[in-house]
Amino acid sequence: MAVEIALGTALAAIGAGVAVGFAGLGSGLGQGIAAAGSVGAVAEDKSMFAQGIIFAALEETQAIYGFLVAILLLVFSGLLGGGAGLPTTVGLVAIGAGAAIGFAGLGSGMGQGVTAASSVGAVVEDKSMFAQGIIFSALPETQAIYGFLIAILLMVFGGILG
Amino acid sequence: MADEITTLISQFGVSQETVIVFAVLAVVIVGAIVVIIASRPVLEIYPYLNPITRVRARKGRLFDEKQLSEIAESSNIDEITNYLRGFPDYANHLDDYPLEKALDIQLAETYDLISKLAPEDIQDAFQILAKKSDINNIKSLLAAKKMGMNQDDTYNLLIPAGRLFSEIEQLADANTVTDVVAGLDNTEYSSVLEGALPEYEESKMILPLESALDKYYLENLLKSSGVPSDENSQILYSYIGDQVDVANLKLIIRSKADGLSFDELSPYMIKDGYQLREWKLKDLMESEDVAGVISSLEGTDYASILGDSLSKYNEDGSISVFEKALDEYLIENAKSLSMRKPLGIGPILGYLSQKEREIKNLKIIIRVKREVNFPISEIKEMLV
Repeated sequence: MAVEIALGTALAAIGAGVAVGFAGLGSGLGQGIAAAGSVGAVAEDKSMFAQGIIFAALEETQAIYGFLVAILLLVFSGLLGGGAGLPTTVGLVAIGAGAAIGFAGLGSGMGQGVTAASSVGAVVEDKSMFAQGIIFSALPETQAIYGFLIAILLMVFGGILG
Repeated sequence: MADEITTLISQFGVSQETVIVFAVLAVVIVGAIVVIIASRPVLEIYPYLNPITRVRARKGRLFDEKQLSEIAESSNIDEITNYLRGFPDYANHLDDYPLEKALDIQLAETYDLISKLAPEDIQDAFQILAKKSDINNIKSLLAAKKMGMNQDDTYNLLIPAGRLFSEIEQLADANTVTDVVAGLDNTEYSSVLEGALPEYEESKMILPLESALDKYYLENLLKSSGVPSDENSQILYSYIGDQVDVANLKLIIRSKADGLSFDELSPYMIKDGYQLREWKLKDLMESEDVAGVISSLEGTDYASILGDSLSKYNEDGSISVFEKALDEYLIENAKSLSMRKPLGIGPILGYLSQKEREIKNLKIIIRVKREVNFPISEIKEMLV
């Protein structure tokens, strides 16, 4: 049975894909970079496992933001859980929301991965560098937060949420 | 807001479907461009991430100034050995080998580790560096046979490391230098040694054979760094180029101190260097004496490095002041190069040069501790 989907809802689905796709790409690349550094550290010093995991886990947040925005878009566009479809113009707003967190998450995730990998190197060389390493690695998180906030604002004021 | 967007679209006189197609296309194109641009730096640094943390972990285990000072203040060799037993990197070999040999093994293992860890684009140069162990073992073998040492004494001189060790140890029972050269005929050093053999036969000195090995090693090292194509290989080329220049300079200074002429020195030189190109090397080799060499260096980094040591050389006549200044230059230069690419070759070079420095300093301390009542303040001055 063919499912009738409103054009706006279909655009929101693209927005959801962009949100989780690009944010996930950034998160994955960043986590891969940090994990590659952490594996090297653990290979030389087994006690680095806990710190390595922390630095490698930091880049998970970008994917979570993208995932959240995508779920919100799918639910409130009527794709999940039924409900009325979105008008076309609101669907375009949904693409904007997805792009906001998608691209911000991509840049933030990669940047955080590079910083985290460097921090793991600094910590394995000098254990007292852990706190400073975490602070530096947390800095690129802000770009993802900006993207996430704008995505939420677009959804609220674009008529998707509420 | 949705109404405002609809109005805006209609103002441009295009249908909604066209706008949607353009929106989707724009997302796809922008996404593709962003991914391509963002992936480039990641692809460049990715192969270095694992090696970097591994060498940084080892760099963190190197002795700091305080620990080196404690070692220098040890009262004898046994105390140094016991101190080093507290560090797993050294402790592994101290039970089986004498102290200095354990240090040589540790250094050889470091070269070997780096040659395996280094990413593919810079691996060749580190594999050549790792051949230093084989070359040193061949030199020990040649020296032992020249002095007529027996099998056991010869074997004790060898460092159990390097890729050719199994072949080299079998030659410990060779009778003469010529037998050693013949025994290495299935190795890459065969043609190098055979080329220098007539000169050995004539002079009965192993210097031509040793110099031929050094020349072969340094020429290959320079060749391995190739034409620098990116920042990592540029840094590597600079690091290796400086090593070749310093080796050339040390040879020229030593030869001029011994009064050797251009023709006598020329066969042992590497034709081209990094800062010291062929014409400059020719100038240096044609200098009358050590002071002439230093003044011919005008216009290069080495002029100021060696110029400061000239007065001390004039006082005591020992070229070791120049060698120490050049070694310190190499360490400082490697340190500054290691800062240039923290997510690339930098930490690898930094660790390698710091490890070489540590072993060199430990050897200086051990050598001096064999002399009775050597002042500690003087030991610290000798360290590089």
